[in-house]
Amino acid sequence: MSAPFTKLAWTNVSKDLRLEWRSRDVFNSMMFFALIVVVVFSFAFEREDSKPVMGGLIWIAFLFSTTMALNQSWARELRNGVLDAYRVSPAPAEALFLGKCLGNFILIVLLECLMAPLFVIFYNLSSVGPLWQLVLVTLLGTWALVVNGTFFAAMSIRTRNRELMLPLLLLPISIPAVLSMVTGTAQVLSGDGSPNVQLKFLAGFCVIFTTACFLLFETVLNAE
Amino acid sequence: MKTKLFFAFAAFCCAFLAYGTYQGLVVAPTEETMGDVQRIFYVHVPAATVGFTLFFVNFLASIFYLWKRSPQADALAATSAEVGVVFCTVVLITGPIWARYAWGVWWSPWDMRLNTTLMLWLLYMSYLILRRSSSAGSTSVLASSLAIFAFLDVPIVYMANRWFRTHHPSPMIGTPNLDPRMQTILFINMLAFLCFGTLIAWFRYEMERTAQKINIAHVQRAAGGAAGMLLLPAMFFATPSHVNPHAYLWGGYIAAWGIYLGYLFFLMSKLARLKKEAAEVEAG
Repeated sequence: MSAPFTKLAWTNVSKDLRLEWRSRDVFNSMMFFALIVVVVFSFAFEREDSKPVMGGLIWIAFLFSTTMALNQSWARELRNGVLDAYRVSPAPAEALFLGKCLGNFILIVLLECLMAPLFVIFYNLSSVGPLWQLVLVTLLGTWALVVNGTFFAAMSIRTRNRELMLPLLLLPISIPAVLSMVTGTAQVLSGDGSPNVQLKFLAGFCVIFTTACFLLFETVLNAE
Repeated sequence: MKTKLFFAFAAFCCAFLAYGTYQGLVVAPTEETMGDVQRIFYVHVPAATVGFTLFFVNFLASIFYLWKRSPQADALAATSAEVGVVFCTVVLITGPIWARYAWGVWWSPWDMRLNTTLMLWLLYMSYLILRRSSSAGSTSVLASSLAIFAFLDVPIVYMANRWFRTHHPSPMIGTPNLDPRMQTILFINMLAFLCFGTLIAWFRYEMERTAQKINIAHVQRAAGGAAGMLLLPAMFFATPSHVNPHAYLWGGYIAAWGIYLGYLFFLMSKLARLKKEAAEVEAG
């Protein structure tokens, strides 16, 4: 008897979210870190000249918080040998991966929703372009970060320096996505130029790398 | 037999490279607007060709490794990534030297072509770091997975020139804009450098196989570009109007060859160490 793929994935998502809801150890540190970035940069930049760099600033805060969350999401599975249990279980590894990705995605999107008002308050932010484009850039960008990040976090916990490896692997791979997230966000915020090209690029990036992650995850999980 | 073939090929490469360099520096016509600095083109473009080719070899070898799990494929992947990084370093150093003269700046931060090449360099550096820091058993599998990811970014590099605005001269090979004499000389240099790249990769591959056989866990890897970078700081503060264009031309050639020779020197010292260790293993 084997459970359907979606049900397995959903079990993983709900398990991760329940664990996070009860402990809140990742979310609290992530939220606090993002808050610090926002506050520190609001001291560093004058309000008038912060507009052109806002796209970059927002994504710096999210990128580093994401890295923190992703490391923790796999480190949790190392305790009590949970990862080894996954390896011997007959459940497909892809379901585990999808579950992890969705769990992280929900967490990061929640963080972004909570951070958005703070950006508005501290930087007097307002969007000139349509808001739905900003939402779309954020969702696609977050997925691009999370899907690659979850994959490379699984890879980096297998190495000797664990947490240190993730940014080294994730950042170079994500440069194209980060560039178009930042450009797209800046275009919507300042209203000059439409972010359509960036949206298409991000969508393509997400499709390509999600496929690659799903194809290779089992290999990485079982690498010995 | 193998050694003889290797030395014959090495001699051939030396002669071919010398011929190509002579053609590039002396025979090739001087470009109208940029003058002699344009001759950096004959080391810059071939290095890019070899670098990208080696990254492609790395991609194929990684896929083959994941499929068949052959140690030869793994050695080839490690080799091609490392040698590819060396050639990519040359591209990234000769490029700015030319740009400082032609554009007046070392680097143009919003140029996609430049950024994507730098990105490739970073990707394969992270590949080499992963190879160094993963635990012995899982290195090859993890590294081959990363290699596939890294190579997915390569098409973006190729297309960047067409998708985004860039200062970088667009590829002119086969177009009437390129003087046919220049084109011939470029092809000679490309072939010469491809032979040179094959030679180094061959050498490095044999070493990797030896290392695999002795099973040394702590094989040292380096960017190999450090030597060339030491030459640069002196030029950073010079302004183009006071500087002879030949300084840039020679700077480019010296940096490129500094890196190649520095890497060869690094390989030689590593080979000596490997031989010593192999002898110790046999004796023990």
